[in-house]
Amino acid sequence: MISISPKTIATGSESLMTTPLDLTNLTPEQVALDINGLNLHYGNKQALNNISMAIPKGQVTAFIGPSGCGKSTLLRCINRMNDLVDNCHISGEINLHGNNIYGKHVDVAELRRKVGMVFQRPNPFPKSIYENVVYGLRIMGENNRRRLDEAVEKSLRSAALWNEVKDRLDESALGLSGGQQQRLVIARAIAIQPEVLLLDEPTSALDPISTLTIEELINDLKKQFTVVIVTHNMQQAARVSDQTAFMYMGDLIEYSDTNTLFTTPMKKKTEDYITGRYG
Amino acid sequence: MTALATQNRSRGIKNSLAKWLITLGGVSVLFTLVLIFMYLLYVVKPIFESAQIAPKVSVNVNLAVKEKVLSTGVDELQEIAYQITDTGRINFLHLLASSDKSEPAHKAGDTALSLSLLAPMALDDEKVIAVVNSYSGGKLLLTEAGHATIIKPSFHSQYADNNRRIIPKVNYPLGPVALTLDEQESKIAKIAFEMDDETAVFVAFTEDGRLIKTSFIAEDDFGSLSEGEEAEYESIFQQIDFPLNHVDEINVTPDLSQVFVRSANSVYVYSLDDEYDVALKALITPELASDKTYLTSMALLSGSSSVLLGDSNGMISQWFEVANDSGRQFEQIRTFNAQPSSGNNSSPSIATIYTEQFRKSFYTVSDSGLINVFYTTSAAHLWQGQLSDEKPIALGIAPRANGLVLVSNATNIETTEQANSKVSVQTFSVHNEHPEVTWQALWQEVWYEGYPEPDYVWQSTSGSDDFEGKFSLVPISFGTIKAALYAMLFAVPIALTAAIYTAYFMTPVLRKKVKPTIELMEALPTVILGFLAGLWLAPLMEEYLPAVFLLFLFLPLATIITAFAWHSLPNNWKDKLPETLAPILLIPVMILAILAAFSLSGSVEDALFAGDMRQYLTNDLGIDFDQRNALVVGIAMGFAVIPTIFSMAEDAIFSVPSHLTSGSLALGATQWQTLVKVVLLTASPGIFSAIMMGLGRAVGETMIVLMATGNTPILDWSVFQGMRTLAANIAVEMPESEVGSSHYRILFLAAFVLFIFTFIFNTAAEFVRQRLREKYSSM
Repeated sequence: MISISPKTIATGSESLMTTPLDLTNLTPEQVALDINGLNLHYGNKQALNNISMAIPKGQVTAFIGPSGCGKSTLLRCINRMNDLVDNCHISGEINLHGNNIYGKHVDVAELRRKVGMVFQRPNPFPKSIYENVVYGLRIMGENNRRRLDEAVEKSLRSAALWNEVKDRLDESALGLSGGQQQRLVIARAIAIQPEVLLLDEPTSALDPISTLTIEELINDLKKQFTVVIVTHNMQQAARVSDQTAFMYMGDLIEYSDTNTLFTTPMKKKTEDYITGRYG
Repeated sequence: MTALATQNRSRGIKNSLAKWLITLGGVSVLFTLVLIFMYLLYVVKPIFESAQIAPKVSVNVNLAVKEKVLSTGVDELQEIAYQITDTGRINFLHLLASSDKSEPAHKAGDTALSLSLLAPMALDDEKVIAVVNSYSGGKLLLTEAGHATIIKPSFHSQYADNNRRIIPKVNYPLGPVALTLDEQESKIAKIAFEMDDETAVFVAFTEDGRLIKTSFIAEDDFGSLSEGEEAEYESIFQQIDFPLNHVDEINVTPDLSQVFVRSANSVYVYSLDDEYDVALKALITPELASDKTYLTSMALLSGSSSVLLGDSNGMISQWFEVANDSGRQFEQIRTFNAQPSSGNNSSPSIATIYTEQFRKSFYTVSDSGLINVFYTTSAAHLWQGQLSDEKPIALGIAPRANGLVLVSNATNIETTEQANSKVSVQTFSVHNEHPEVTWQALWQEVWYEGYPEPDYVWQSTSGSDDFEGKFSLVPISFGTIKAALYAMLFAVPIALTAAIYTAYFMTPVLRKKVKPTIELMEALPTVILGFLAGLWLAPLMEEYLPAVFLLFLFLPLATIITAFAWHSLPNNWKDKLPETLAPILLIPVMILAILAAFSLSGSVEDALFAGDMRQYLTNDLGIDFDQRNALVVGIAMGFAVIPTIFSMAEDAIFSVPSHLTSGSLALGATQWQTLVKVVLLTASPGIFSAIMMGLGRAVGETMIVLMATGNTPILDWSVFQGMRTLAANIAVEMPESEVGSSHYRILFLAAFVLFIFTFIFNTAAEFVRQRLREKYSSM
């Protein structure tokens, strides 16, 4: 019972910075998401080509690549947001704890509760700050005021927003600045305690200072959640992520720990991209 | 030229031209709106004005010494006035100086004609003690000796050399004879008479204490009498049982059906319906303010239903017959206060009440000469003032009620020994066009003649001349709101659910077809909807009434069952039908439900309503059923309103940003939770405006309500009853109303009220929408 395997220790955040994981050879306990042979078509056009990768638990994984490379599409596959798109056909599987999320008896709402998502543009609801944060809890039927209050404080603290808004929780969320709104949306997403948090270019609509705050926040968030971030900003990927996947034209070109990818890329295309030859 | 000056002149011109044209367009829209508003107010304003009486002409007339004026009058154009004196003379006076051309020339105050009225009967040495007016225009001259004759001053116009001359004349409707009114030929103390073409009725109180009734029944027709001819008639004499030995006043109604006899403080009402037996019908004994108060005068109001009683305290009460549990009884309806306004200690006692011939206005003259003008229906006190220093000797109302002629002692004459021989004749113009309209008459319960209790009634015209206009705007405003509410009750659920489904659940392919189709319905002329509702739907619903109610049950039920069946179908079956077409499956189901409802209608009627639902409603439940009722209007107008609400609500829901829906879905909300908690909330300002726009349209809608409501101005919420709306009322009655009449102006007022209704709805809608938008607007 007390015996802890070395691999389990390796997932601890302290050791992460020093020893990169061997991405091709993870134990099932280390894997949060296992993408296996994923193909996606929009009508006749194939947008993702046979993607297979394992995303480790409790780490930050970044998807980078030029516009239209399929990085956002791949991210949206993870919580099945692509279901809402007409004419979108998906084959292959994504396993969350060994369960295929595209399996027969999957409740999409339940999946999304476990895989939260933050979008490119801050999208607070036209409600109060408080109601925004508890939205996910309320739709799950939680109405106990004390528990909601606790969740609000905890989530807002985790999202580094508590001190700024604690005195005006009943005011409209639309009165916050863009950076605050984005942190509020993150607080809203983590209030329901998801396992995985998907961030779709979370800072692209924000100013540099807000971007910095969000980046610091991401560093804190990986202590609790598995974070997958899509960004077109390579510096950001380098700053915040533990693993980076480079995608190009619907293909996963290279996937390794961030340090390796940015310093000694294996593929020519990766090198061209990170050195700014295209993109 | 600097480099920064405009290089392209034509571009500059186009720009400023466009700027000015757009400004002009905007300003003229506002200007037109203000103009409409101002015009409505301009037409409506006169009905709220009080009466005005202004002096016109004043002339002094020499009378023979010790002559007394008993009665006065004026022609329609107020150019010639006449006085009848106690010597039996009638003097016609010119009130205006002649124009240059006319022959013979005269100036104001000149005598046009002076006749002895009693000369043809050789009674000119007798003194006239009373001149009694009748509604038919005839005047009865009663002499001291008990002789009576009926005269009628008349005027006719002559046109010569582009000049109008008014020629006065005196007619004797029963011929120039002394009438025998009493079989026993005793002297007469008080008398009243009234006549029509066939009959003349006289009711008199003789000096020997008998109340008698005399009727003359024409052999031929009193109206066809040529000048100087004596009428041939049969006389019926009759004595009426009367318990008292004193009579103050007698009045016979113009329709010859009743007589009112006042003796001190009681009024005896006799029915004249039976020619040979005059029966006591009622006794009116008004409650007077104190022991010292007593009745001083009585008059019949135009239309012969109401009697007015004036007392020594300056109060006038109106009485008419009211049907109640114990039959028809005279009741005091309302009182009017003719007391002088504060600070005036003159005697308030009502000396005489003069009533207008065609309207419900009356003038009171008090002992001190104070004149008050009232209108009964609207309970309006129109005017109070003193037209002469003392009580006028005689007062006459011009035939068109637009003028007064007053005979009073000429006080400005200094030669005192002649004071009794000179009188002043004054005419006054009266501006009293719309006495029947007051705020109270428009919006409060009014007790109309013949009604059992005060009520809200709209009845602007009638076949009868004696008609009392009933201008309550309450029933038609109520009808407007009722029609709009029933329409909204039908339209809002359908339009909103359709909008939600189309905007939120429908596939884009189908949405592209459905939305324009529903919006096309808006272009359907409402007159078509109106006549379909009135001529096809209303009879159909009357015949299949249970089917209509079954439909309210069957249609939602069929929809839910179909949806459930579809949901539980195996997936591979569902895949065979494209998702786009799935909703179309509902169409045959709906048709089946409608057919089922109609075919079951008969059986349901047999089983539950004893074979006829209409009869059952009326007889067993006591619910009145109109064929054109609120149900028909609700459905027909609902159809007109649905596209408006649908289109705007759909746009509002559809334009909820997708990042909000995604945000909600990404938090694990179901489609339904997202719809209720995020989409509808964010779209609420738009949905609210959609509903208010629909309501605005329903309120202003004319053709459907005109054709399908039955236009009955009643106050009843029942779904089986019709209504009349402001808009339909204007459309129905405007072509019939005389331009400038009270009716005409009240219709404009109705238009103004409609304007205010829509104004209030729109303002409230805009206000709420702004508030909602501030709260829920998304970025």
